[in-house]
Amino acid sequence: MSRSLTFRIFRYDPQLPGDAPKMVDYQLDETPGMTVFIALNRLRAEQDPSLQFDFVCRAGICGSCAMVINGLPTLACRTLTAKYSDAVITLMPLPGFELIGDLSVNTGKFMRELAERLKLWLHPKAQQADIHHLEQPMEPEEAAKLYELERCVECGVCVSACATAQMRDTFVGAVGMMKIARFELDSRDARTADDFYHVIGTQDGVFGCMTLLGCQDNCPKDLPHMQQIAYLRRKMAGTLIASSKV
Amino acid sequence: MLTKYRIGEGWLGYPQSHRWSAIADVLQSGSGLILGLFLLAHLHFESSILLGKAAFYRVANVLEGGWFTSSGHGSSLLTQTFSVFMLLVVMVHAATALRRFPAQRRQWQALRNHNLLINHQDTRLWFWQMVTGFLMFFLVPMHLVTMITNPEIGPHLSAARVWHDNYWLVYILLLPAVVIHAMLGLYRLALKWGVNFHRDGLRLLAKILIGYLLVLGLCSLTAYLLIGSGLTTPVTPFIP
Ligand code: HEM
Ligand code: SF4
Ligand code: FES
Repeated sequence: MSRSLTFRIFRYDPQLPGDAPKMVDYQLDETPGMTVFIALNRLRAEQDPSLQFDFVCRAGICGSCAMVINGLPTLACRTLTAKYSDAVITLMPLPGFELIGDLSVNTGKFMRELAERLKLWLHPKAQQADIHHLEQPMEPEEAAKLYELERCVECGVCVSACATAQMRDTFVGAVGMMKIARFELDSRDARTADDFYHVIGTQDGVFGCMTLLGCQDNCPKDLPHMQQIAYLRRKMAGTLIASSKV
Repeated sequence: MLTKYRIGEGWLGYPQSHRWSAIADVLQSGSGLILGLFLLAHLHFESSILLGKAAFYRVANVLEGGWFTSSGHGSSLLTQTFSVFMLLVVMVHAATALRRFPAQRRQWQALRNHNLLINHQDTRLWFWQMVTGFLMFFLVPMHLVTMITNPEIGPHLSAARVWHDNYWLVYILLLPAVVIHAMLGLYRLALKWGVNFHRDGLRLLAKILIGYLLVLGLCSLTAYLLIGSGLTTPVTPFIP
């Protein structure tokens, strides 16, 4: 026999004049293999067409469907309803991002601004920017390390799981540091260690991190935040203190 | 959010010195490490009262440098000097750790919202580390200034301080605050610099140490209270 699930969902449309944030309960019969993503689609199709939430891939790849499910920020499409034995599932939008409406937040805008601020794209070395040159081959070990960090889907979970990021608007957050670590490892990137230090060797970067580890504990891609941030911290502290730059 | 700091085509962050950000972080951790390790030793030394007055008398004499004086009693000048040094370490620590403090109301709200919305153990532990750190802002100077102005340590003199001068009031607050703060701090320190990444084990160790040090500290405080209540004024120093 299937259970009846209660979904307690945050509802608020900032575009709607006079609307106020509230929690609304919905009932739904559980089906085998149901994810929160499937449940939300059924709720929207069968009960309330105005319900707003994001998804694209429904397979944990695009990072659009992140929300806070029973107190833990994670991807809705990878969360099975069967996990919750008491049949009550509370859904909140990710905190720390611009609210579009209900469970939908603008992580895209945040990620874009972060990328512009930290220059999170490959800055090729001069000869590699020339398409008449054959690209340098990359060692498989290096490629594997890059791939490990490249798995980030920019879901925003690590930002909303981090109390430091919630308290300080200018803090770059785990996703920013992970991406810097990724380009620092990349032998094709022309930037020097100094350039990277300039971007995150500050109170807004690695020295602002308080090691609360919400990032590490909630990242749906299990990226090694704790190790990477400790590594950046050691490396930057050593180099910066030894340098004569003020 | 971040857009606030956008000016024209460029980004404007706070004017920050990179080198000083690094130095402050190292000073905070270094001072925290000194204080945390000192606490572990300190609580055991003062708890030697549980082994009897004579044991505490000997520990105090040795730590006051009794080996180097002809009388074997040591000098309370050493206690004073060391207390001044610890006060300096605490000042460095407080000044650097203050960077982490939610200084504005908006930040407190963000922290509160976060703790209500997101279920995360290490953030809750940090919250208590921060609150106890704030309490110690007031409690630690009280303790250290006393040791600088009245440095006499001994089974009767210390007990008289606890009982007759009502210092148990300070200690009953300082003990839980410092123990919780320091053990969680050392746990975080290990993870922060990557000394050790066995997180579950480290956290369990921190919790066990908190329990153990609280019991140890409370027992010895009770011992001082019992000794102190049995003393008649004016208090005469203990002679073995
Ligand atoms: C006197 C006893 C004290 C001991 C044994 C101690 C120990 C420590 C240790 C080991 C840490 C971790 C260091 C790090 O994360 O880099 C720490 C952090 C901290 N301490 Fe203390 N501390 C003491 C007093 C204080 C006082 C008086 C304050 C008041 C301002 C304070 C505020 C803080 C704060 C807010 C943190 C957290 C910093 C962070 O999370 O990054 N502590 N403490
Ligand atoms: S690091 Fe993990 S939690 Fe953070 S944005 Fe990337 S995938 Fe999401
Ligand atoms: S819908 Fe793409 S990650 Fe969930």
